[in-house]
Amino acid sequence: MSETLLPLNGLKVVVHAAGVGAAYAARMLSTLGASCILVEGKDGSPLRGEAPFLPQSKISALFAYLAAGMRSQVIELASDEGRATLGALLSTSDIFIDDTPVAAREALGLDAAGIAAKHPDLVHVSVLPFGATGPKAGWKADDIQVLHASGEGYLLPNGLSVEMFPHRPPVKIYGHFAAMQGGIAAALGALAAVWARPETGGQYVDISAQDATLAVGAFAIQRLGDGSVEHRVERSFRYGGVIPCADGYVELLTLEQRQWDGLVKLLGEPEWALDPALADSLERSRRGPVINTYIRAWAAVRKVEDIVREGQKLSVPLAKYYTPIEVVNDSHGKFRGLFQPVAVDGAGLLDMLVSPFHFDGSPLHLRAGPPALGEMNRAEELA
Amino acid sequence: MKPLSGIRIADFTVHNAGPFCTNLLSQLGAEVVKIESAMRPDAFRKPHPVYGRMGPATFDQVSSTKLSVRVNLKKPEGIALAKRVVSVSDVAAESFRPGVIGRLGLGYKALQAVRSDIIMLSVSSCGQAGPDSHFAGYAPLFGAWGSLSDLTGYPDGPPVEMRHVMDHTVGMNAAVAVMAALMQRRTTGKGAHVDVAAREVASSLAGEALLLAAAGGTPRRIGNAQEGRSPHNVYPAAGEDRWIAISARNDAERAALAKVIGGGDLSDEAISTWTGTREANAAAAELQSAGIAAHASWTTPEIAADSHLHERHAIVSVEEPDGTARAAVGVPMRLSKGPEIGIHRGTPKLGEHEDYIYGELLGMDSAARKALEDAEVIY
Repeated sequence: MSETLLPLNGLKVVVHAAGVGAAYAARMLSTLGASCILVEGKDGSPLRGEAPFLPQSKISALFAYLAAGMRSQVIELASDEGRATLGALLSTSDIFIDDTPVAAREALGLDAAGIAAKHPDLVHVSVLPFGATGPKAGWKADDIQVLHASGEGYLLPNGLSVEMFPHRPPVKIYGHFAAMQGGIAAALGALAAVWARPETGGQYVDISAQDATLAVGAFAIQRLGDGSVEHRVERSFRYGGVIPCADGYVELLTLEQRQWDGLVKLLGEPEWALDPALADSLERSRRGPVINTYIRAWAAVRKVEDIVREGQKLSVPLAKYYTPIEVVNDSHGKFRGLFQPVAVDGAGLLDMLVSPFHFDGSPLHLRAGPPALGEMNRAEELA
Repeated sequence: MKPLSGIRIADFTVHNAGPFCTNLLSQLGAEVVKIESAMRPDAFRKPHPVYGRMGPATFDQVSSTKLSVRVNLKKPEGIALAKRVVSVSDVAAESFRPGVIGRLGLGYKALQAVRSDIIMLSVSSCGQAGPDSHFAGYAPLFGAWGSLSDLTGYPDGPPVEMRHVMDHTVGMNAAVAVMAALMQRRTTGKGAHVDVAAREVASSLAGEALLLAAAGGTPRRIGNAQEGRSPHNVYPAAGEDRWIAISARNDAERAALAKVIGGGDLSDEAISTWTGTREANAAAAELQSAGIAAHASWTTPEIAADSHLHERHAIVSVEEPDGTARAAVGVPMRLSKGPEIGIHRGTPKLGEHEDYIYGELLGMDSAARKALEDAEVIY
């Protein structure tokens, strides 16, 4: 998709981010076509110092991923001049995304009332771990706390992992899952507010990563209302799940009868699987551990690729557990343009994930790699 | 006001990811018309023995706030009727396997013929095109394909399955894409076909690890560790299966933590000794008051009862058909000029809103509707 055709072309976003959530919201909007300026202090956003780092370097892979396609402008918000500069920037922008702790906002000219008074048409998005209002608005959190405040933290691991280590503490989802949910919700809230702007003018959007992570974990609340309390030990699939193979793992999940029928064919129609009692899904559920013993023995001597290829031909939901480098090199992703080479200062051209969206059959694209600190200031000086 | 008031969505989505997308948009004010039939009712209308539910659900989160009409897509007249619903809609959303909606006669081009600026959302496992596009999949498979699951787990253990959070984050991502398409239509007057690949959403949530791998690094499972944080773990609290998550980012936070636990040893063993005799929520509050990131590992009942989440309307109370109250999850945002967003209607009965959709919107008289019912088109 050429740049002129990106869906959010013309939309102007300013982001002031120390954390992943606010940056991820801006990253989504930028990749969809919005122009995005990252406002940083003279030492740069703290995200520039966040792990993981590219090999043999102090270049943050996290920052590079989050800030790809953005511009960088250094503005010192502690000074009157800096706040005036930000004000001028916001006066020509549509969306401002900020994750400054609430207590620190007024001194920096970032409080909601002050911004609304000066910029009535601006959509002002706050992204914090627990939101900007409520008893816990001032609480600190990394991703691990938000996951445990939202339910999913307590519910992982499940399946084979909890079967192997039932007495270990819960384990978190890799990386910044919860903060990114906050970012996705922030992008949604920002666009919904911009959509309504002809009727409402600008407004304040208060995003909590906890709310967003809870929202994507809604099924646990649904089940609670149905009378069941989920627990990681009982949340495993009765059969299927993570299946160890000769050279890796596959995920197997058959929820429908035809999928079970396909699995029986894939297994070579062994005698145990042809037991008429197993035609009943409830009976299969009851005998799940025994079924899994057979499936695991069958898979242990077979290769992942062979199982997935033959299984998917029979419409059996099967997937290989890909490592990151396998995702980068995967032919399906290459066909779909999932990655794009971008320049990362000090590291050269690197394949970077663009977006999970296609519009009209084409992938989106990144304008550039991550910006050098204050490159906009230098460009202005040169001009 | 609800920001998406005036937007209408013809909703053909099934399972979780697509329906959660349209549910979020409905909570933001879009009028979402759920299209199903007695022949192929939504999963929540059927028993689900895998989850121990032996009858229909009385409340379904992802169907709440939607309208329901019956359309039998097995009949040509049903396809024609579905097109009439699309013709009065801004968005058509579907989540069948790639190719299915086209074979039904409801592909993007066919829908453009009835509404030239239609936005079509297709949510699928692997996207609409590509060598694996025909693959069947559910949430755990998305996480597996995307490497998020490979990266999650104990260092000496297997990968960990992603469950419904994976479906629902696909849905929330899709809602962002739909909003972008609406913005584009406002600017250009043109619709779009939006293709959201669930496995790519899983990958996008591990984008930094993929970049590291592309640069020659080797990201791998690290359990509860987080590079750049120390300590960073889940520790036992008083009581059975009670835990507290604690982390520190810098020396100042480590010093504060040492002061609270009464010693300079910040090993997991020393912290566990302190946490192990304390109630998890009280310990978290004490640590937070000292400026340390901490939170109890909450069970679902604790979440449902939490005052902070209630105050933010992240947890709301909805009413069952018999009048009893239960907890549900609100749309995850607060809008200064849209305080009324959220769930405003429970799970619709099958075909509950046909008077409005078929009668008022499409102008069908009762005789025409009766004829379609007799022909099992409205069925």
